[in-house]
Amino acid sequence: MYNMKKIKSIMAIITLLILGSSCTKYLDLKPQQNLDESVALNSDANVKTVLIGAYRAMRYSAIYGGCILRNSELLGGTGEISWQGTYNGPREIYNHAIIAANGDITSQWLDSYICINICNNVLSALAVVDEADRGTVEGEALFLRSMMYFDLVRFYAQGYEPGAANSQLGVPLVLTPTHGISVTNNVGRNTVEEVYTQVLADLTRAATLLPDANGYYATSGAANALLSRVNLQKGNYAGARDAADKVISSELYSLTATYAQAFNNTESSSEDIFSTKFIPADGINQMTEFWSTTEYGGRDGDIEILDGHLSLYDPSDERLAMFWIGNDAYRSGKWNTQYGLVNLFRLAEMYLIRAECNQRLGTEVGDTPTNDYNMTHTRAGLAAAESVTLEDILLERRLELAHEGFKLHDMKRLKLNVGDLPYNDPKMIFPIPDREMSANPALKGQQNEGY
Amino acid sequence: MKKIYVLVTLMCFIFLHAANAQNRLLSGLVTSADDGSTIPGVSVTVKGNLTLGAITDIEGKYQISVPSTAQTLVFSSVGMQKLEVAILSSNVINVSLMPIATNLDEIVVIGYGTQIKSKVTGNISKVNGDLIRNTPVPSVQQALQGKTAGVFVEANNGKVSGATRMRIRGSSSITANNEPLFIVDGVPLTTESLNQTGASINPLTSINFNDIESIDVLKDASSTAIYGSRGANGVILITTKKGKAGDTKLNVNFQYGYSKASHMREFLNTDQYISYFREAAYNSDLLEGYDPINNPDDYAGSWLQSAEKRFKRYSGWAAKLDASQTVPGKDYIGSQVNTDWQKQAFQIGGLQMFDFSASGGTEKLKYFASAAYNKQESIIVSNGLDRFSGRLNIDNKVNNFIDLGFTLSLARTNIRQVSADNAFSTPMQLVAMAPITPIRDLQGQLYGTPTTTYYNPLIDVEDTRRNILETRTVTNAYVKFTLMKGLAWRNELGYDLYNLKENSRYGKRTDAGQGINGYAISNYGQTQNLVTKSYLDYLKNFGDFGVSAVLGTEFQKTSVDNTWVDGQNFSTDDLKTLASAGLITSGTSTLNEYAFLSYFSRATFDYKSKYLVTLAGRIDESSRFGSKKREGFFPAVSAGWVITKEEFLANNSILSFLKIRTSYGKTGNAGIGNFRYLGLYGVTPYNGQPGLAPTQIANDNLGWESTRQLDFGLDFGIFQNRISGEIDYYVKKTKDLLLDVPVPGTSGFSVQTQNIGSVENKGFEFVLNTSNLVGDFKWSTSFNFSVNKNKVTDLGGQQIIDQGSSRFMNVVKVGEPLGVFYGAQYAGVDPANGDAIWYVNEKDANGNIINPAATTNDFASANFVVLGHPTPDNMAALTNTFEYKGIELSFTFQGVSGNKIHLTGDPYMAANAAWYDNQTTDQLASWKKPGDITNIPQARLGYDNGDQGRNSRYLSDGSYIKLRSLTLGYELPSDLIKKAKFERVRIYIQAQNLLTFTKYIGWDPEVSSDFAVDNVTSGVDFYSAPQPRSITLGINIGL
Repeated sequence: MYNMKKIKSIMAIITLLILGSSCTKYLDLKPQQNLDESVALNSDANVKTVLIGAYRAMRYSAIYGGCILRNSELLGGTGEISWQGTYNGPREIYNHAIIAANGDITSQWLDSYICINICNNVLSALAVVDEADRGTVEGEALFLRSMMYFDLVRFYAQGYEPGAANSQLGVPLVLTPTHGISVTNNVGRNTVEEVYTQVLADLTRAATLLPDANGYYATSGAANALLSRVNLQKGNYAGARDAADKVISSELYSLTATYAQAFNNTESSSEDIFSTKFIPADGINQMTEFWSTTEYGGRDGDIEILDGHLSLYDPSDERLAMFWIGNDAYRSGKWNTQYGLVNLFRLAEMYLIRAECNQRLGTEVGDTPTNDYNMTHTRAGLAAAESVTLEDILLERRLELAHEGFKLHDMKRLKLNVGDLPYNDPKMIFPIPDREMSANPALKGQQNEGY
Repeated sequence: MKKIYVLVTLMCFIFLHAANAQNRLLSGLVTSADDGSTIPGVSVTVKGNLTLGAITDIEGKYQISVPSTAQTLVFSSVGMQKLEVAILSSNVINVSLMPIATNLDEIVVIGYGTQIKSKVTGNISKVNGDLIRNTPVPSVQQALQGKTAGVFVEANNGKVSGATRMRIRGSSSITANNEPLFIVDGVPLTTESLNQTGASINPLTSINFNDIESIDVLKDASSTAIYGSRGANGVILITTKKGKAGDTKLNVNFQYGYSKASHMREFLNTDQYISYFREAAYNSDLLEGYDPINNPDDYAGSWLQSAEKRFKRYSGWAAKLDASQTVPGKDYIGSQVNTDWQKQAFQIGGLQMFDFSASGGTEKLKYFASAAYNKQESIIVSNGLDRFSGRLNIDNKVNNFIDLGFTLSLARTNIRQVSADNAFSTPMQLVAMAPITPIRDLQGQLYGTPTTTYYNPLIDVEDTRRNILETRTVTNAYVKFTLMKGLAWRNELGYDLYNLKENSRYGKRTDAGQGINGYAISNYGQTQNLVTKSYLDYLKNFGDFGVSAVLGTEFQKTSVDNTWVDGQNFSTDDLKTLASAGLITSGTSTLNEYAFLSYFSRATFDYKSKYLVTLAGRIDESSRFGSKKREGFFPAVSAGWVITKEEFLANNSILSFLKIRTSYGKTGNAGIGNFRYLGLYGVTPYNGQPGLAPTQIANDNLGWESTRQLDFGLDFGIFQNRISGEIDYYVKKTKDLLLDVPVPGTSGFSVQTQNIGSVENKGFEFVLNTSNLVGDFKWSTSFNFSVNKNKVTDLGGQQIIDQGSSRFMNVVKVGEPLGVFYGAQYAGVDPANGDAIWYVNEKDANGNIINPAATTNDFASANFVVLGHPTPDNMAALTNTFEYKGIELSFTFQGVSGNKIHLTGDPYMAANAAWYDNQTTDQLASWKKPGDITNIPQARLGYDNGDQGRNSRYLSDGSYIKLRSLTLGYELPSDLIKKAKFERVRIYIQAQNLLTFTKYIGWDPEVSSDFAVDNVTSGVDFYSAPQPRSITLGINIGL
């Protein structure tokens, strides 16, 4: 018996030792749902997959999932729409009483830079992309990054003043991917001029790199359309006109037969230059969410369209018929398809930019302002105009592109008052989010006026 | 001879008879067997005669007059074993009593072993299973509420399945886990829930706490260091019941009860609603320069018209509108409906419990087995749970060399879940509906939008089924080899298998299912937790020296996997499973794993049980950290001195026990997600194509968060331990926090997990147990009180972490407690115009407020300041127990103070009619005319006049005292029940939350809304259900 005991004691100690030493390898566990960054950008296929990730980021709720369009309408649409929802964040934007801790403006900032960082990652790894596709991949990344910077600088900084130095604070320009966090990540705000310069340079390059057709992804048409939009905002009418003309004259796009056909589609219409598609598995259509009502999968009808807007239409304008009454108020009928497209660039905008710029410059590049104006005007069931003024074109633009995210930027560009507030009132731009001010010492003293 | 015999017999008979009529005077001295000291207050009774009794005097002497037929004297005293002494010829009976396990001498469970409490040098609170048995609450955490000092327990809300927060000696981490480690019979328990929809449920609901023998709460570093990296938040050791050799003991327990909401709020009725919203709309019109009442031209497009339209819309069939009667401002004539929507959210809850256990065995083989059924209906409609559970614990002594055994528990919990507090579909959001809205239309269908102000949660009650089925097995098998006397080698294999199946089906009319023809999800989650350990246990006395030591190793691997499918487009609401979905919208599965490998040791030394020293430590390696920082060492040292064992106090008649103790040590925390040190990309699909994007930024220097804790303690007993208690003071400093540090968003990331920052908890704990009256009428009191001051001391250079929200205001700020409320300071109402005003609180360069009196009506101009904190500073509980001849009355008052609660739902329901949500009646006192002094700003429909969320207007004092429990029990006399072959029969009635004393203006100050509760955000009340007030009746039968 004693021997037995002794043997067992020895066994015990051996077991203990084995148990202790053999487990170490079990600690080397690997993530099952994630990929280490060292391999994420090491092949052609991976870089292209990361590029798709950039589109997904572009489509985050706070940005092109719809809120960025909504916020433009809320901040610039006083008297034409009314915010009736319970969420505080949008209500503050609508009331021009934004606090720097506002969750919506915080997410818009963060999500934009998430998309930018993904683009920067793609741009840093072009070398491993197949040569045949390299230009397209680069062009798409430059396009998406430009789109982000253009919106950041429009929302978080005072507007571009044509002819001025534009040394007012813009947003921080970050053009390289982030691989670790150090003091080099504390980047202060670049000037508005610098941001526009970067955006224009990137877009110009992207337009030359991108193909004409690319599924739901960016094309040369999309890059030119954005280029046109940026130049228009900048007051560079010739640039805006020429870029718009390139899109129109490419003849890749045509207006849909009716106005209603341009919206609530589940596939791109002939006039869509660039749009984002919602399917049940990814993303929530924030346009349906806020502009529509529960029967279409939206909230309770958070945004109402007021007489101040509806009275602008000619009674026979077919675009007026797009408004419908839901929950006792007029609603925009553009966003009633939850799982469908949200149009981001339509050909109609290009016609109207070309018309406006030709009118302003007294030129007829592509076509006459009147003809371009009539493209959308007659589609709406209205009689063709014989001649147009700048005011006519601007009103046409206001009606044609209503509630598609243009409001705030047009009010600023045209130097119009929003309610009682002048276009350049400090309350007409977002604060730099509080969390950003405290996380980034380089922003010290760079908060926007009034916040 | 025969005659003599008869005579003697007769004489004896006479004598006995005479003696029977006579009384005998007995006297004596009662001393303690422990140290020979005399014991005052000992009850001396005659067995079988309840009317006779005496008590020993201050010198331990007694006198009692007994009938000559009396055969046995019974000596009993608190803290002493009851002694029965036969009455023989002598009239002097001196006895000495053995002390029994007072809480100073009881055995406490420590990590990987047990110890006599008087020898413990750390801080361990023991809660006997008896104290929590039959508590009519769903989880063991709630049963522990108020039972020990320094332990904060708070249920998120009154839903039966909801999660519970538990903090031992404060929160020490900002990003990592702050919940204590739960260990049942040696197996660390999974406490993370696996449900994917609604608020997190509490996985510990699966524990039948009637099976619990004891719960030992390890609080200081000395006792938790042996759990190393998981000890920093304290450890809760749960020991389940074991069999005892002897006759089989059967125990049957029934309980049945009702519950209802402990408090309701008051909302506007129809008349109040109409008149108040008319007032608010008209105020907004006047503000904009219109007067629709006096200038009929102004009516079209006015707020007043908008309100009248809403009234009509909200009244459904009950709207009375006659176009011919239309007068400006009176489109809407009136409603015959006055719906109390709040009432619709609640129901009478109920509790049914049946519990059976059997235990017994031989010296060789002992067992404990139990089966239980527990059903709890919530006070909230469509919420409830039922649980079947069973247990078998077996211990077998094979021979002098081998002991083996196992514990095995099974539980099946079925939860009828309701959505989280922030969902439109949660029943409590019914209070937002207008009282003018009827519940159903004339066809009997529930009204939804646009008739109801928001989605009607009653549609969810009718058309949604949300089932969660949890099954759980916790088992631990051991084999112990006694290698030699005092040296044992113990091996254990523990396994916690936690399965969760979640099936929810939302009908076509529901919030989730509308527009898509119904929606369903199916989620299956499984957490497997496997633990192996092997350790040597040594115990030996060398003369006056005692040594005990433990040395061992442990390996734990946890894997969590989840499978999810959801779909929509059902042909009919009657088909419930995803097989009937026209479109499967998504499907996914995930696997997450982590592992710990540990080596631990503890050695305790004592000299004459007087001088005590303990050394303990653990080395942990975890897969959660990179190879650079994988290993952590967590040591602790503690010492104690039992002063009453010294000569100079040996015969002290007052002080029966005095020990001072101190401990210092380091423990860790790895309670973060897996792989936080890696730079990772995750899949993000777009248009059905898989995309990849960075999800996490690398930090290969990421290591353990560590907490250093210093504890000074004193344990005392006075008057034979009739008064005993503990006093502790501790300082807990946590540094190298595992902190999600906000980084510039321009990097493309918002946080990086770093080891930065520090948090401090300082506190004081006081426990007092007294036996106020002994004898037939017994009165004992137990009291605990604790103070914890929490402070964030460093954030690595940043001063504040503010997540950015207009609704919530919990932030992390240096110099302040974790999660302080940071927002604008409400200054009330400007008497001149009814505007809400705030203090400007502008600060100079030194951070001093320049002009404390300056106010503004522009919310954006009000600088944010610290307004209070969400976690109580002080906690206390007081229990009194009275016993008299089998009748027992016990009640516990429990309370907290020092915290504030942010009523985040009140910017909607107490917002002076900023929007159409029904308002609380206190809003009627809003400003009406210049000169009015009130705290409620002028009602202005559509305007933010004081309803901003980050606003001290919506902070309320969260202090409370509750009559947490009241129990009246009666134990039937044993001679009565013995005839029916019962060992014990006890009937009882108990009440929970019978009274609440608080200044809190919401439903219940015991709240942290279930969707907004984490380390930073807490103390938020957003449509959170109050705790139930319940009354249950029970009977306990022992056979």
